[in-house]
This record gives sequence, structure tokens and C-alpha cells, in this order.
Amino acid sequence: MTITIRDEELILAKERAIYLPKEKLLAISDLHLGKAAHFRKAGLQVPSTLAQSDLNRLSFLLDEYQPETLLINGDMFHHELNTDIDDFERWKGQYPNLKFVLVKGNHDKLDETQYQNLGIEIHEPSYCTSKFCFIHDAIKCKEENLYPISGHIHPGVSVYGKAKQYLKFPCFYFGGKYAVMPAFSAFTGLSLIRPKVSEQVYAITPTKVVKV
Amino acid sequence: MSLTKTKGYQQVLAWLQKDDKKPFKFQEEAWSYYAKGYSGLVNAPTGFGKTFSLFLAVVIEGINLAEQKDKKKVKDRLQLIWITPLRSLAKDIARAMREVLAELELDWYVGVRNGDTSQAEKLQQKKSMPEILLITPESLHLLLAQKGSSTLFESLKCIVADEWHELLGSKRGVLVELAISRIKGLQKANKKQHLRVWGISATIGNIEEALDVIEPDTTAKRTIIKAKLSKKIIIKSILPDDIETLPWAGHLGLKLAYKLLPIIEKSKTTLIFINTRGQSEMWYQHLLNLEPELAGRIAIHHGSIDFELRNWIEDALHTGMLKAVIATSSLDLGVDFKPVDTVVQVGSPKGVARFLQRAGRSGHSPGETSKIYFLPTHALELVEAAAIKEAAKNNDIESREPVILVFDTLIQYLVTLAIGDGFDDKIIYEEVKNTHAFKMLLPEEWSWVMQFITFGGDSLTAYQEFKKVAKDEEDGLWKVKSRQIAMRHRLHIGTIVSDAMLKVKFLSGGYIGMVEEYFVSKIKAGDSFTLAGRILEFVQIKDMTVIVRKSKQKKAMSPSWLGGRLPLSSNLGTVLRKKYNEVLNKTHQEEELDIVYPLFLVQQERSHVPRNDELLIEMINNKEGFHLFAYPFEGRLVHEILAALVAYRLSKLLPITFSLAMNDYGFELLSDIEIPMDDAIAYEVFSPENLTEDISLSINSTEMARRKFRDIACISGLVFQGYPGKYVANKHLQSSAGLFFNVFSDYDKHNLLLRQAYDEVFYQQLEEPRLAAALHRIQQSTIVITHPTRFTPLSFPIKVDSLRANMSSEELEHRIERMKVEIFK
Repeated sequence: MTITIRDEELILAKERAIYLPKEKLLAISDLHLGKAAHFRKAGLQVPSTLAQSDLNRLSFLLDEYQPETLLINGDMFHHELNTDIDDFERWKGQYPNLKFVLVKGNHDKLDETQYQNLGIEIHEPSYCTSKFCFIHDAIKCKEENLYPISGHIHPGVSVYGKAKQYLKFPCFYFGGKYAVMPAFSAFTGLSLIRPKVSEQVYAITPTKVVKV
Repeated sequence: MSLTKTKGYQQVLAWLQKDDKKPFKFQEEAWSYYAKGYSGLVNAPTGFGKTFSLFLAVVIEGINLAEQKDKKKVKDRLQLIWITPLRSLAKDIARAMREVLAELELDWYVGVRNGDTSQAEKLQQKKSMPEILLITPESLHLLLAQKGSSTLFESLKCIVADEWHELLGSKRGVLVELAISRIKGLQKANKKQHLRVWGISATIGNIEEALDVIEPDTTAKRTIIKAKLSKKIIIKSILPDDIETLPWAGHLGLKLAYKLLPIIEKSKTTLIFINTRGQSEMWYQHLLNLEPELAGRIAIHHGSIDFELRNWIEDALHTGMLKAVIATSSLDLGVDFKPVDTVVQVGSPKGVARFLQRAGRSGHSPGETSKIYFLPTHALELVEAAAIKEAAKNNDIESREPVILVFDTLIQYLVTLAIGDGFDDKIIYEEVKNTHAFKMLLPEEWSWVMQFITFGGDSLTAYQEFKKVAKDEEDGLWKVKSRQIAMRHRLHIGTIVSDAMLKVKFLSGGYIGMVEEYFVSKIKAGDSFTLAGRILEFVQIKDMTVIVRKSKQKKAMSPSWLGGRLPLSSNLGTVLRKKYNEVLNKTHQEEELDIVYPLFLVQQERSHVPRNDELLIEMINNKEGFHLFAYPFEGRLVHEILAALVAYRLSKLLPITFSLAMNDYGFELLSDIEIPMDDAIAYEVFSPENLTEDISLSINSTEMARRKFRDIACISGLVFQGYPGKYVANKHLQSSAGLFFNVFSDYDKHNLLLRQAYDEVFYQQLEEPRLAAALHRIQQSTIVITHPTRFTPLSFPIKVDSLRANMSSEELEHRIERMKVEIFK
């Protein structure tokens, strides 16, 4: 689905990403790489194919949009370096010309050198384009003239209908003051948001992005 | 030598005769079978000394053995493990046992071990085990999780599972089965097999099966001992003066509370059973408001009240200081409070066995009569009261179906052993295979479970770094190396799943009880709530404890504790259908049915009163949407499946979305478009054909399995439930059962825990034979379809029920489209 914010086109992908054609930039948030392996190290049986499936979905997006920059809007790594991250490094080798940008989030606590070794450019607290300010947590944004696009909360939306019907989806949120992206990782929960009537929310179903 | 000539027997007999008592026949039978090396089951009503039937059997043998033995030899330790389902039982039984041991001058120590036992006492027990240990199933597993635990059971002679009927139908029963299998195995390895296993059970429909579960070895010496004693029970309903007093729906019943006051007044002590903890708090406040004179003479008892307070209440019950105690199932079982002569049941107990059990709390001594009053909370419950009376009279008591193939419990057990002394997988496989719960376990299922705890899943895709259970190269046993994993596991042993609980404490000190974290998250400083019958003002949360002070307010909200609503048993359902017939044609003697008659006239006038050979379907159309109500009277659990089945079959006719609700009498399908229905469709959607396949498909398209998975994820250790006062801050390891359910469904379809979730719906909840029988019955019935213009006495209680499920055959996008109109209109 294509929408226009501040006169610029944004493509909302059902794979939980935003593409900015003008900037040739693909943005995702809350990738939480290594979360599965972190759980497994602690004796919790998360399927080990989980991290790989997140990366496969990302590959699909990269093929589809051919961006120059991949922006990760915080919480790229869940906790520490582990085998999931080794897999990520191998996967990243397929994209030598792609620029990896990480806007630091609360989970991103590796040493500077570790990001350097992985070939990831660090931005703190935000990465700005001409119209938008990508930042992990929107309330910390100080760029007054730009529209903040954040992540962090893993937003979800519930819709109600006649006859006591009720549905819940991950979503993109575009509010009066800022926007929130859905969490990219499949191994994350949802925190439900309550939009005002004037605000735009796009629900992500298994087959498409739908405005609600 | 015959048992009656032994010193032990003579001593016990002499002690009984001193009080002018003699053993009941079933007690003597139990002593004799025990002495001959039998395992078995004792079935006796409460109040006839079933505890003594087995406790004294072990004591007699103990006295006789001490006689034969060299006095200088080291004392044998643990002789008897007595498993009780409730903590409150242990204290009481320990007291009775200690008194007897003192009288008999047998130098045995009785220890209690459960969640309430202090750390100091547990350490003392570790140094030197008492001869008799009273323990809950969970604490027994915690014992197995200790290093060096394998040596504890060498001299053990007997394991008794008290109130076995309570444990039998739950995963806690499986905990007992597994622990017994291990202790037997340890004795076998030591070549010292003297263990006998006994259950004590109230009357249930499947008493033979109860024996098979506790002693599955059919070649072992086993027997069932039945006490041929009957307990006299008087059942009386508290009736409203006219039916208008009672609401059509509801669970609280405060309107009739004033009628309790004279009953409390003329009784010595009254136990008032309320079905939930939240409602018991409201009742306590309400009774005090009605009769301020009761202040200080009534108390409230439930599982979320602090240990010290509960102790105080139980002591006060013994001494007869209290006029009345408001209780939940926390006082259901065997505790013997002599002064209690009257019991009140508020709201339907939903089963005959539970009702009789509660009635048995009064008139606890042999020969006394139990007296129980039934207080209805809504009008139709009066019919239930009549049904219960009839079922009780005919001794039509439910079965407790044992739980099988619960992989979550097996996984927890194996990790428990790995934390303790470690385990040999070949030996444990044999032991587990020999339990009733896992006798159908397949070799490939066992290897899946082993891979799950050692590799973290399918070994083909597993990563090296999974850490949980690993083989110790020195002794070849499977063990847990990580202290952190061990600690976390210990905090989560057990199969009772609850929300995270927080302790509640006065600012000035002193614990009051526990509330759910979810409840606290909704209140602000200064808000008041009731707990343990006191009105408390919330101050703050500090160190995972809720700090409160006394509130000056007169009224406050009651916290709600999660806890399933009890479903109507099938026995009761059958009697209930019969009673519905009797109301209208007045072929009955029950006063309850006379009172409810006007309500049936309303039902008849607005729609129809279903007879025994009819299925009533009501189609009601209002601004909420299009409702379909159907009334098979099969109980909530069966209706949940039946609703899904009918919704699924209707949704094959056209794209449609339903919201589902149900109670014990029937179910509702609600849609935003008109629901197609006529005679032909009705017989079709209630047809027993293609049942198995259609049920699978309908279960898959609702959330039933997902809900079951909540418990499974906790029990198998995937999700932490938190622990009162011992909250482990593990934020970066937290996730939800729902998330695991999604992830397994998407990436690990062959996960046995996932399959278990579906199986639990399919086999345990569904009771397929019961459903098939219901559908066959419906096929033989006349289906009556009515179109009332207003809600009827039957439909109203279902309509107001808030628990709902969904079922749809429409495309998501279409549904969202219609729903957004609703939102932004």
C-alpha cells in the first residue's frame, strides 16, 4: 500500500517494512536478531529456524525493492552475540553493496567495534532524511521540523464490529505527532494502541496491508 | 502369626477401647490387607476415620517391626508419605497423627512439607527425615529435584494419596503417578522393595479405574476396600418468596442473603461455600452490612489469604469461636471441623460429587447427619437444585476421568529429575511406560521429549548452544548443569497455573494475602479494595509487594482472581432435562419447581419450554445482530465444542462470521448477517455424520487449543508465571504462551506440546462419546424453532455471558472493511 506523508511517498509492505522510493531506503524496526538463540541458551525451546525465516523475509524485501540503504530503526540485536548473529553475518555477505544503518535502540548494547566488524553504520539517537526522523523511541525526538518515525513498542490494533466481532493485528501507526512501525521479528508480542479518529492506522493481515 | 495377635494390633485396640471405641470393619480390613503386602484403594465417606484405616496400618507394622529389631540399630527413617491435595489438610491430619503416636508411645516424628513450610524446617528435614511426611504432589517433586534425594526413600513402606478422587482427574494426579513410579524404581534398584501404594477416595463413578491409576501393575497384590456405611444428608433450598426476587442471570445471589441470617443464628457453626474468591469477598462484606452484630464472629477463607491468617481461621473453626466462615474450594476437602453443623452452598456446585463432598463438611462424626442449604443465585438455578437433590438421592455420582499423555507434565518431571540426582533414560522410560498416564507412550514420542529437553527440539535443525539437560560424561546420567536453569525450574514445579501473584502487606507490617498482578496494574494509589474481608487502601508496589493501609471507606471493589468456571457434569445434565419437563406438567414434589413455575410460563409465552424429546432453537433478531440460541443441556464444555461445530457447519453454507457464547444449558451464535435456519438445516448441522472430521476442523478454526496451550506452556517451562514474593526479573527472557503457540504452529508443526493442546480439547473437554450421544439424541428429537421478539428466560443468561469465541468463513479483508465502518461512523 502506498501512502503520502509530508508530500513524500511511502510504501507500506505487509512483510512489516516501509520503503521510501525517493531515498531508496528500506526501513524496518525491532528485528531482535539473536532472540531465539538467547532463549535457547537459557533452556527455552524456541524453534531454531525462526531467525532464519526473519532473514528470508528480509531477503524477499531487498529483492523486491532493491534499496541502496537498509535502515534498522532500533533493537537490531536482542541481547548478545550468538549463533543467530553468525548466521546474520553469513547472510549479509550476499549484499556487499547495501548500506546497513542502525538507529540505536534500548536492546542495542554491543561494543562500537562489534558493529564496525559487522559493517553496520551506527546512528544515535536518530537518522534523518529531508522529511523524516527515524528514531527508536519517538518521545526522544528533538528534530522539530521533521516527522518522527519510531519503533520500540511493537504496535498492534484491535478492531470491533457489529455482533461482538473482534480482530487484532500488528499495524503501522501514523499519528499527528509521530509514526510507529511494526516489529519486524515474528517472535515478538503486540502492545495494543488506541488511535484517535483523526489518526491513520494500517493493519497487517497475512495477505495485505489494510487501512482501518 | 495372625495380625490380631501382634503387639501393634493389641496396642492400637487397647488405645481405641480406652475411649470406648472399636475399629470399623473397613479399617480392620485395611490393616489386614496392608499387613499382607497389598496395595489398594479405600473408599469411605468422610467422617468415618478413613485416615486411620491406613495410618494405623502403617503404625501397627511399625510397632511390630520395632519389637523384632535390635534396639541399638540405627532407626529407619521415612516410613510413610501421605500426599494431600490441600495445604490446609496437612496441618490437621498431622495434629491427629501426633496425638495418636503420643498415646501409643511410638517414637515417630510427623513432618509437614508444602509451600507453607519454613526454610528452616525444610533444612531440618533434609538432615533427618521424619518417619511420616505429609506432602503435596508439588512438594514431593521438589524433593525429587534435590541432590541426594535418591537415598531418602530406602526405608519407605507406604505412600498414601489422600482425597485421590480430587487428584485423579488432573495433571496433579499425573505428578503423583510419576513420583510413585520413581520411588518404586529406586527401591527396585536397591533390591529393597517394600513399598505399598494406597489411595483414599470418596465415592466416584469409576472407582476401579481409580485403583488402576494409583497401582497400575495388575499383577501386584491389590484390592478395593469399601466401607459399607452411609451418611445421612439433608438438602434444603433457600427459596425466594416469589420468583421476581431472583434475577434471570448472575452468579452472586446477594438478594437472598438475608435469609441466611436465621440459619447462621440457630446453627453452632456454618460453612458458607461460594464458587469464586472474588464473590466470597463480596459476600463477607454484605453479611456484615446486613448484620453488624456478626463482626468478629465471621471470617473468610480462600487460597489467596495469607498462611498465618488461614491458620488462625482454621484454629478458630476447631474451637468453635466462629459463627460462620465464608469459604471457597480451599475448605472443600476432608478437614474435620467438629463444631460445623451446617453448610450453605451459594450458587450451583455443578456436580453431585462436589455437592455431597461439601455437605460432608458438616456433621463430620460417624452417625451424625450432614445438613446443607442451597442458595440459588439466579432463577433457573432452582431447577438445578431440584436436579441435584434427585441425583444425590439416587447416588448418581460422576466419574473422574484420569489424565493421560500429558507431555508438558512429563517434560517438567524429566527436568526435575535432571536437577536432582540425574536420570538414566532407559530406566526412566520403563518406569514412565508403566504408569497409567503414559502406558500408551510411543517410543518416538519418548525420543521427541528427550530431544526437546536435550537439543531443544528436532535434532536435525537444533543448534549447539541449546542448554538445558545434558549427559554427564562421568556417570552417564542426564543432568542440568546450569544453576540458573535449575533455580528457575524449581520455582515452577507444579501443574496449577495462575497469573503472576503479588503479596499484599500492611505499611506497618503483616501480610494479608495475595492478588493478581493484573488487578494491581489497574488500580491507583488511594484506591480501595477488599481482601481477606478487610477494606484496604492501595499505597504503592515495593519490591514486588503490594503495600496497603487500612481504608476508611465503607465500600470497595473486590479483586478478581482468575479461575475456571466449573462446568455442569453430564449426570446432572440428564436429570436437569427431566426436571424441565416436570415443571410445566407439574409431575413433581419439589418446592423449588413450584417457585420457578411462573418463569416457565414466561418462557412458554415468549417461545417454548423444551421437553425431554425436543431440541429448542430460538432465533432472535435485534440491534445487536442475529442470534441463534440452542439448548441441548449438556454442560458448558460440550456446548463450547457443539457451538463451534454448528458454527463451522453453517459457515460452509455461506461466508459468515460468528461470535460464540455458551453456558450449561445451551449456546448462542451471534452474527451481523442473517443466519440461515429451518428444520432441514437444523437436522443437518446437528448431525452425527462426519463428526470426527468436522470437529477437528471446527476446533482448528477457534481459539480453544490456543487457550489450552497457556497452561501447557507454563507447565513445560516455556513461559514463567512468576512466583509470589520471589519474582525473578528476567525481562529479556519473557514471552507469552500465545507467541509460542504461533511460533510452533508456523515453524514446528510436529511439536508434541502443540498436539497436546489439540488433544486436550479433543479428548478431555470434548468427551467425544458424550457429544456423539447428544447428537444422536437430538436426531431422535423434534427440533422446535421459534422466533421470539424478546430475550427469553433461557436465552438471557447466555446473552449476558462475557466469555466469547469467534468463528469465520469470510475473508479477513472483507471483515475489516465492515468493521472499520463501525469504528469511524
